[in-house]
Amino acid sequence: MLSYVIFTLTLCAIYGLLGLSLNLIWGGAGLVNLGLAGFFAVGAYASALATGAGAPVLIGWGAALVVGAGVGLLVTFATLRLRDDYLAIVTLGFAEVIRLVALNERWLTKGSDGISGIRAPLKAELGTQNFALFYLGVVTLVLLVVWALLRRLDLSPYGRALKAIREDQQLAAFAGKPVLRFKLQAFALSAAIAALAGALYAHFQSYISPDHFQPLITIYIFLAVTAGGVGRPSGAVLGAYAVVIFLEATRFMTEWVPGLQPVQLAAMREMLIGLALILVLHLKPQGILPETIPKAPAPPSAA
Amino acid sequence: MTPFSIDRRRLLAGSAALAGISALPSRARAQAGPIRIGTLTPLTGSGGPYGPVMVKAVKAVVDEVNAAGGVLGRKVELISEDDQTNPEAGVRAARKLIDVDKVSAILGTWASSVTTAVAPLCWESKTFLATVSGADAITQLPHQGYLIRTQPNTTLQGKKFGEFCIAEKAKRVFFLSPQTPFAKSQFDNITAAVKAAGGETGSLIYDDKKPSYRTEIDEALRFKPDAIIFGGYTPDTAVMLKDVYRAGFSGLKVAFGYSVNQKLIESVPAEVVDKTFTIAPSPAEGSKAYERLVKLIGVASPDPYTTQIYDQINLVLMAIAFADDSSGAAIKDAVRKVSQAQGGVKVDNAIDGLKAIAAKQPVDYDGASGPCDFDAIGDIIDSKFRYEQVQGSKLVLVKIA
Repeated sequence: MLSYVIFTLTLCAIYGLLGLSLNLIWGGAGLVNLGLAGFFAVGAYASALATGAGAPVLIGWGAALVVGAGVGLLVTFATLRLRDDYLAIVTLGFAEVIRLVALNERWLTKGSDGISGIRAPLKAELGTQNFALFYLGVVTLVLLVVWALLRRLDLSPYGRALKAIREDQQLAAFAGKPVLRFKLQAFALSAAIAALAGALYAHFQSYISPDHFQPLITIYIFLAVTAGGVGRPSGAVLGAYAVVIFLEATRFMTEWVPGLQPVQLAAMREMLIGLALILVLHLKPQGILPETIPKAPAPPSAA
Repeated sequence: MTPFSIDRRRLLAGSAALAGISALPSRARAQAGPIRIGTLTPLTGSGGPYGPVMVKAVKAVVDEVNAAGGVLGRKVELISEDDQTNPEAGVRAARKLIDVDKVSAILGTWASSVTTAVAPLCWESKTFLATVSGADAITQLPHQGYLIRTQPNTTLQGKKFGEFCIAEKAKRVFFLSPQTPFAKSQFDNITAAVKAAGGETGSLIYDDKKPSYRTEIDEALRFKPDAIIFGGYTPDTAVMLKDVYRAGFSGLKVAFGYSVNQKLIESVPAEVVDKTFTIAPSPAEGSKAYERLVKLIGVASPDPYTTQIYDQINLVLMAIAFADDSSGAAIKDAVRKVSQAQGGVKVDNAIDGLKAIAAKQPVDYDGASGPCDFDAIGDIIDSKFRYEQVQGSKLVLVKIA
C-alpha cells in the first residue's frame, strides 16, 4: 500500500508540473494549448535519447528543458497570427505530429516499440523501495521550485502584463507592451516546463512509447487546471493532485458497487470523472482556488 | 499543559497509524487468506472489444475452481482492472494490483506498449505476468522468467506468411502495413523466407486512417508483385482491398485472420475480397479445452485472445498448486513443470490438473490456444496456424499446419 501511495504522489507531482505549464500559458497569456501531450513527449524523448547516448541524467533533464523551449518557440512562430480556437486546433495537430514522428522515425525513437530501460538515477544504489521515496522527493522539490517561481512571476509586473494581453491583446499593445515578445517567452517557458515533466516521467517509468502521449493526458490536465482554478499556480497544482487522486480513488469506489461486470465498472469510472467535472463547473465555475486580482494601489491622496 | 497532552495524543495516534502501515504487508504476505490473481485487459480504448470477454473467461475458470474447493485449500480471488489500452493508465492500474491487492500474477495485457510498460513493475516486485501481446521485443526484456506469452511472436508469424507465398508460387511479394510494433520484424521475416527461395520483396508502411489508398496501391503495383500481404486491421484492410480490386490486381492476396474476418467480408462486395487467403495462429479448435471454454462462457467462437487468457489462468492456478506456494517467484519456477512436463498426464483444464497434481502426477497442459509449451525466454515453442480462403463470401478452411 505504501509504495502505491508513493507512486501516486510522484505521479501527482508530475501532473502538477504539467498543470503549472498549462496554467502559465492558458491562465496567464490566454493561449489555449491543446498540444501539451506533444511537449510532454518531446521532453521525455529528449531526455531518454540524451541519457541513452551516455549523458548523465541531469544533462538529460537540461536537454529536455532546452529542446522543449526550442520547440515551443517554433510552434509560436508557426502560429503567430492565430488566436483562440484556431490556435487550439493547430496545437492539437502539433501534438499529433510529434506522436507520428515518434511512431515512424524508427532510427531515432525505435518506433512503436518505444524506448525501454531508460536509466533511473541512483536506482541501483538505493534499491527499488528507497528509489521510489527518493524520486518522490526529487519530483516534489522540482514542483515546489517551479511553483514558487511561477507564483512570483504571477505577482510581478511581468505577470500583470501577460494577463493584460490575455484580457485584450490590442489594448496591451496600445499601452506599449511588446505583445509578441511576451507571447513567445511565455509559450517557450510553458513548453519547457511540460518538457521537464516529460523527462521526469521518462526516468520514473524507464519506458516510453508513442502510445503514452495520446491526447487523453492533455484532457486530464485541462480538467485539473479548470477544477483547481485557471490563472493561479496554486490552483493548478491543487487541481492536478485532485485529479490524480480522484482517478485512483474511483478504482476503490467502484469496488463497493455490487453486481456489475468489470467492463461496466470501467465505464462507470469514466462516467464518474465526467460527473466530477460537471459538478465542479456547476458549483465552482472559477475552480477551487479562484484567481485573485490584487486591488489597484490607492491613488496618492490629493494635496 | 493542554498543548502537551494534545501532542502526546497525536504522537500515539501517529505511531499507531505507522504500526498499522508496517503491519499491512506482512499480513498480506501470510499464506492464509485467498490467492489473488489480477487481470489487466483493455476494457475501454481501442482494445475494448476484446477485454470484456477475456475477463469473463478468467472469471468462469476461477468460479469453477473455487466451487471445487479452491487451490491449496484456499479460495481464488479475481481482481480485474482496465488498462484503457494506454501504457500510462496501464501502469497506474498495475501498481494498484501489485501494491494494494498484492496479486500473485497479472494476466492478459493486450497492447504491446502496455505490456512493455508493465513488465518492469512485475519483475521488480516478483509478480508473474502472462501476456497476449505479439511484439518480438517483449520476451527480450530482462524479465528473469517472470513473463510468458501465449501469442506466437512476430518472427514465427512472418515466416509462415513468407513460406505460404512461396508455396503458392509467388516470387515477388509485397507487404502493405500500417505502423505497428510488429510491422518491421514481420517484413524482415517474410523477406528471409522469400529470399531463401530466390524471391524478391518490397514493403510500404501507410497511415491507417486514410479514406483511400490509391497512391499506396500504385506504388505497390509498380513493384509488379505476384502476391500482396496485408498487415493492417479490419477498417484499413477493407479500404485497401477495394482499391486493390479497382486497380485490377489479380495475384495472390494474403491477410491476417483478425483483419479479414466475417465482418469485413460482409461489409464489402463479394468480388473484392474473393480468393483472399487468411493466416492466423489457430485456436486449437476442436480440442477438448476449446470446447470446454465455449461451453463455459457461452460464446460460439471465442477470439484467440480469449482462448489464450483461458490457458493462462489454468496454467497459473496449476503452477501455484504444483509449487505449494502462491508467490510470483513460485509460479515462475513451476509454470513450465505444468505446461510441458516430460511424459506428464495430458490435461485440458485446471480442475483435472489440480487433481493430478494432488496425486503427485506430472502434468502436461494442452490448452484452448494450442499446446502451450514455453521456451527459456517465455515464447511459445510451437503454434499451429490456420489457413483459410474466402470463397463466395465465406471463409473456407484450407489447412491447419
